[in-house]
Amino acid sequence: MDLELRFFATFREAVGQKTLEREFDDDATVGEILLTLESAYDGLEGKLIDDGGDLQPNLNILKNGREVLHMEGTETVMEDGDTLSIFPPVAGGA
Amino acid sequence: MSGLSLDATQLDRYSRHIIMDEVGPEGQKRLLESSALVIGAGGLGAPVIQYLAAAGVGHIGVVDDDVVERSNLQRQVIHGDADVGRPKVDSAKDFVTTLNPDVDVDTHQTRLGRSNADLIEGYDVVVDASDNFPTRYLVNDTARLAGIPVSHGAIYKFEGQVTTLHPDGPCYRCLFREAPEPGTVPDCATTGVLGVLPGTVGCIQATEAVKLLLDAGDPLVGRMLFYDAMDMTFDTVPYAEDPDCPVCGDDPIDSIEDVEYADSCGIGAGAD
Repeated sequence: MDLELRFFATFREAVGQKTLEREFDDDATVGEILLTLESAYDGLEGKLIDDGGDLQPNLNILKNGREVLHMEGTETVMEDGDTLSIFPPVAGGA
Repeated sequence: MSGLSLDATQLDRYSRHIIMDEVGPEGQKRLLESSALVIGAGGLGAPVIQYLAAAGVGHIGVVDDDVVERSNLQRQVIHGDADVGRPKVDSAKDFVTTLNPDVDVDTHQTRLGRSNADLIEGYDVVVDASDNFPTRYLVNDTARLAGIPVSHGAIYKFEGQVTTLHPDGPCYRCLFREAPEPGTVPDCATTGVLGVLPGTVGCIQATEAVKLLLDAGDPLVGRMLFYDAMDMTFDTVPYAEDPDCPVCGDDPIDSIEDVEYADSCGIGAGAD
C-alpha cells in the first residue's frame, strides 16, 4: 500500500523533506511504519519508538488528522492512501 | 472601572469594537476590567502585548528576565533601536503606555520558575509567549492547577503551533506528555526564525486571549493549529484529554512542588 507521510519542524530536517510517498506492506501498523522510518533515516533513530516499543512521550502521530493514541496506538492499522503526520513539540518564542 | 461607563475618549478609541454586537460597550468594559499575563516579551510576546494593549485589556502583566538585543529587532516589534540594553519589561511597558493610557502594566523582570510561579494567580488569562520547554510545562501545570486558561503559541523557523489550554479541555501534557531531551529541539538563536512568523502566531494568540476574556467565539480548545509560513497553510488537528494525564487526568497532581522542570519536565514514575 502507498502512504503519504508528513513531517513537521525538526523531523523535516531529519528526513530532508516535508512530505514523502512511500510503499509499505499491506496492513502495516503505525509502530511498524515508524520503525521502518527510523531505520531509513539516521536523524529519526530512537526519536519515534521507545525501548519498550511504545510511542515516544514527546511526539504526536496522526492518522488522517486524528491522533493514533486515541485509536490503537502503535497497533493502529494503516490503509492504502492514508496520511500519517509526525509532529514534535516546539518551544521557540523569542 | 466596575460600574462606570466608558468615557467619551474611550467611546471613540474603542468605537470599532463597540459598534459590533459581539463586543459592544459591555464587552469593551469587560476587556478594560480584565487582566492578562504575558510570559515573554520577545518575538511572540511583542505582538501579543501590542494587540492586547490596543484592544484595551486593562491590566497586562509582563514576565521577562532579558534585555533587548539588536538582533531581537528584526521581529520583536515593541522594542526599538534606542531600547538595546534595556530590560524588555521596561521597554514593553513604555510601548504600552505610549499606545494606550487605559492600560496598567505590571512588570516582572524575572524568569518564571517553581518558586515564583504563583505570580500567575489572579490573572484572567495567561499567554505563553516563552521560548523554552521548562517554562512552557511550568506554565501549563501552574495555570491548570489555578484554573486559568492559557493561550499557547510556539515557533520554529517557518512553522508555528497554537492552541488554547482551557480548564475545561485538554492540557499541553495531554498532547505532549514530556519535553524532548534538552538540546534535541534547537532554539531560534541556533536555527534562525523568519521575522514575521512570530507576528502571525502572536496575533493568533492575542486573538484567542481576547476571545477568552470576552467569552466569545470558539477558541482552539482541544485543537492544535499548525501554521506553515512557507506553504502558507493552516492545519487544525483535534486532540483529546488524556485520562492518564498527570496534570488534568483522573489522578492529577495537586502541586508542582515535586515536578523537575530542568530536563524532560516529566511527572511521576519514570520521570527524570
